[in-house]
Amino acid sequence: MASNAIDQTRRMLSLVTYLRERPGARVADVARAFGITEDELIADLDVLPMCGTSFRGGDLLDIDTDGDRIWWHNPDAVGSSSGEPLRLAADEATALLVAARAVATLPGLRESDRQALLRATAKLEAAAGEAAGASSRLSVTFESEGGVFADIDRAISERRRVWLRYYSPARDELTEREVDPIRLFAVGHTYVEAWCRLSEARRTFRLDRVAELRLLDEPADPPPIELRDLSEGLVQPAAEDPEVVVEVGPAGRWVAEYYPHDSAEELADGGLRITLRTPDPASLRRLALRLGPDGRIVSPRDLADSARQAALEALAGYGE
Amino acid sequence: MAIAKAERLMNLALCLLGTRRPLSKRELRASIEAYAAAFGPGEGAPGGSGASGTDDAFNRMFERDKDDLRELGLVIETVEGADGDPGYLARRDSNRLPPVSLDAEEAAALGLAAKVWQQARLAGAASGALQKLRAAGMPLADDPYEGHSALEPRIPVHEAAFEPLMLACRDRRPVVFDYRKATAAHPVTRHVEPWTLECWRGHWYLAGWDRDRQAERVFRLSRITGRVRSRAAAFTAPVPDHVTVRGTVESWAGETATGTARIRLRAGAGYPLRARAVSTRAAGDGWDELEIPYGHGLDAWLVEFGPDVVVLAPSELRAEVVDRLRAVAKG
Repeated sequence: MASNAIDQTRRMLSLVTYLRERPGARVADVARAFGITEDELIADLDVLPMCGTSFRGGDLLDIDTDGDRIWWHNPDAVGSSSGEPLRLAADEATALLVAARAVATLPGLRESDRQALLRATAKLEAAAGEAAGASSRLSVTFESEGGVFADIDRAISERRRVWLRYYSPARDELTEREVDPIRLFAVGHTYVEAWCRLSEARRTFRLDRVAELRLLDEPADPPPIELRDLSEGLVQPAAEDPEVVVEVGPAGRWVAEYYPHDSAEELADGGLRITLRTPDPASLRRLALRLGPDGRIVSPRDLADSARQAALEALAGYGE
Repeated sequence: MAIAKAERLMNLALCLLGTRRPLSKRELRASIEAYAAAFGPGEGAPGGSGASGTDDAFNRMFERDKDDLRELGLVIETVEGADGDPGYLARRDSNRLPPVSLDAEEAAALGLAAKVWQQARLAGAASGALQKLRAAGMPLADDPYEGHSALEPRIPVHEAAFEPLMLACRDRRPVVFDYRKATAAHPVTRHVEPWTLECWRGHWYLAGWDRDRQAERVFRLSRITGRVRSRAAAFTAPVPDHVTVRGTVESWAGETATGTARIRLRAGAGYPLRARAVSTRAAGDGWDELEIPYGHGLDAWLVEFGPDVVVLAPSELRAEVVDRLRAVAKG
């Protein structure tokens, strides 16, 4: 709650400046300008009349609203200096500058957007002054495949279907499919969320796994679907997915960092017993092979067997 | 019901911004309803109780509130008053945003950037910055998506250690935390002077000076166990101008090639190996021969392809791969 009070105070200080310049401003416009809901704005407007330089002297902000417009009857009550725009705090400058620099480095971003970001960044650095200094202590690099990114970006804006040759690591194979792109997003790697015409389902494709891509003349026609909430993580195993149990030694603990799992039990040797769920356990054969001496699949049995079988076949290639 | 914190902070901010002369703590306590209601008008004031316990509680809240306002960017000066008591004010000159004129395109670009944070503190700070700029006249784009990249970049922050480390980097405060290296069974306590945080491939890393090892080190935040505690003392080592977190992480990930390896790869298999290959030629019988960059960790990656890859050279890589395969074959 504490940080909410801080965010609200910060917002109300900016509101006071904003409203001073705009007598009779519309609730809907102000909410949009501040990136908040009308209810949040009304809640702020309920607090502002309790604020001022002295509750005894009656020097309080006389701000009210009829739900449509906002009126401020004594804009000079608290002294004109509190109406001036306030300098940026170190965290504010950092949050905006780091994000702007990160987005500007995305290969495939439209050139006009990149130029606008770079101009805005330079102006912000100048306006923030020394508050901008701390922003060098945080940095973010997005990864994306420039050419693929630009093509998908174009397909989305022109609402066109796309043909893909896509690499699936689980099967170590390339598949061809037609998809209707819905949106591009970046969380570490860059992805496109699309309606896949092959599987007739929503699929997420990582751009660095797109081997080849062509824009088609057909229009994209994805069914209306609710967009996924990216804050919950990309991989969300379903409750009915089969369970896989992996035991790793200390050198295999990274598995718990890379695979979302249900549980990771500490073992006496410093290793972990990891239980995870996946719709396709066969896809974990790669993991079993990769782990080598650092871990093994405990169950299901046939997954462990197929990894063993693959290793024996591979050894035959070395004359063993 | 106690008066909400936002209302109290707002009143304190307006008092400090609105005054031309420093205001004493007593004046502020009397002028701000939330203080007067909770603690009374204070010692020496008509009807004041003068109870020192109440004064202590007020003083603590007042100090916290000032710190909160400073987090919002307010510059609050403490000035010795005529009667020896400290007075406080937020001067107009030091709190004003310098003129900044952003056009609609630049405003839209910043609007996109402000949405990337998936961390409460930075998301709040980014919106707060936009609101201050908006109040200073930054225009509002009609349709933020028209004519712009259809991209939604997000910066994930899942690590609990992020916020305390971000503040420690900002304020240049040494920290102590327990850290479990990738291959270590148990965490070890590390004393670090934190320099920068960097997000690379969706994971956060800290670069800093390791006091125990007297050397620069990079830490992956997800491997920090338990709480990050900060220390009051100052940094002992100089902070370099440039810190290369990415280079260190790439070498962990085996992306720094130190040579090349020759492998046989079944036709049609191993697309990512082909994509990185220096050279590829058909070797007959449904096999290709590839030359690929060779760095740390290549053995584990090649084993993933099972019977579709055979290492030809160098011999130490061939031996490592065979060892790994034997371990899997044993079960």
